[in-house]
Amino acid sequence: MKKFSAKIIVKMKPTIKDIKGLTLKRAIESFIGIENLSCNVGSYYLLKFEANNEIEALHTVEKIAGEILSNEVIEIYEIKALEEVYE
Amino acid sequence: MSKLKVGIIVFLGTNCELDTKRACEFFGWDVEYIWHNDKIKKKYDLIFIPGGFSYGDHISSGRIAKLSPAVKSLPVGKSLIVGICNGFQILCEAKLLSGALIDNQNIKFISKVADLNFKGEKISLPIAHHQGNYFCKNIDEKQILMTYQNNENGSDMSIAGIYDRKNRIIGMMPHPERAIYEELGLTDGRKVFEFVKNEI
Repeated sequence: MKKFSAKIIVKMKPTIKDIKGLTLKRAIESFIGIENLSCNVGSYYLLKFEANNEIEALHTVEKIAGEILSNEVIEIYEIKALEEVYE
Repeated sequence: MSKLKVGIIVFLGTNCELDTKRACEFFGWDVEYIWHNDKIKKKYDLIFIPGGFSYGDHISSGRIAKLSPAVKSLPVGKSLIVGICNGFQILCEAKLLSGALIDNQNIKFISKVADLNFKGEKISLPIAHHQGNYFCKNIDEKQILMTYQNNENGSDMSIAGIYDRKNRIIGMMPHPERAIYEELGLTDGRKVFEFVKNEI
């Protein structure tokens, strides 16, 4: 078995009002004094796991991200990196 | 007539199981707890998924609880299933009810008595949640069970509770189990429990 690491970002779909993002946008604009800031809030996950090969690893990450870390009704996930780890 | 058999699922972090049990006992129902890590094998007329913070609400409310053996073995279509607050969130996360519950519009935890429209009546029930803002793409109006009069959390169509009649699953954010006994000042929860009983 090979060891893999994956970085995943989960955020609200663009069509869903990102309430935390909007609150943060207003606070930053007020504190820093800038205008027209775009701000989205999401979650970042770093996973380490074992798989036989890269295809199996990708399948595992997609399953975890799609079924557990995100809810397809309101969120989207992005796999930012999937790489074999040599330790 | 034999007593109703009721199961109440208890997760790590559930905190409304006793209120729900006491509410059921008010109506003389037979109640027992179901541990989240056990598959549901017994036959129940009614299963409650009570409020609380299952698995600490980590990732998102109900996101981890949906993976539990108890939820995965829910007898959908056989028993009437009622999710209250966190239970509603779990049922949506498990895709047993449509839509999703996201952060309240004011991103604050809301704890108050809410005025609601329920079956053509105006009732008042406690609400206590951070993620009670109901989002849905399309919902059949027949599925809407109760609505907020003042839409405290920003829910689509002011929805406070829904009912999937086909699969016999009810989800609601308000807490009827906290409005049963006169000593608590509210008794409108009885109307919801009586409705639930009539749906079995």
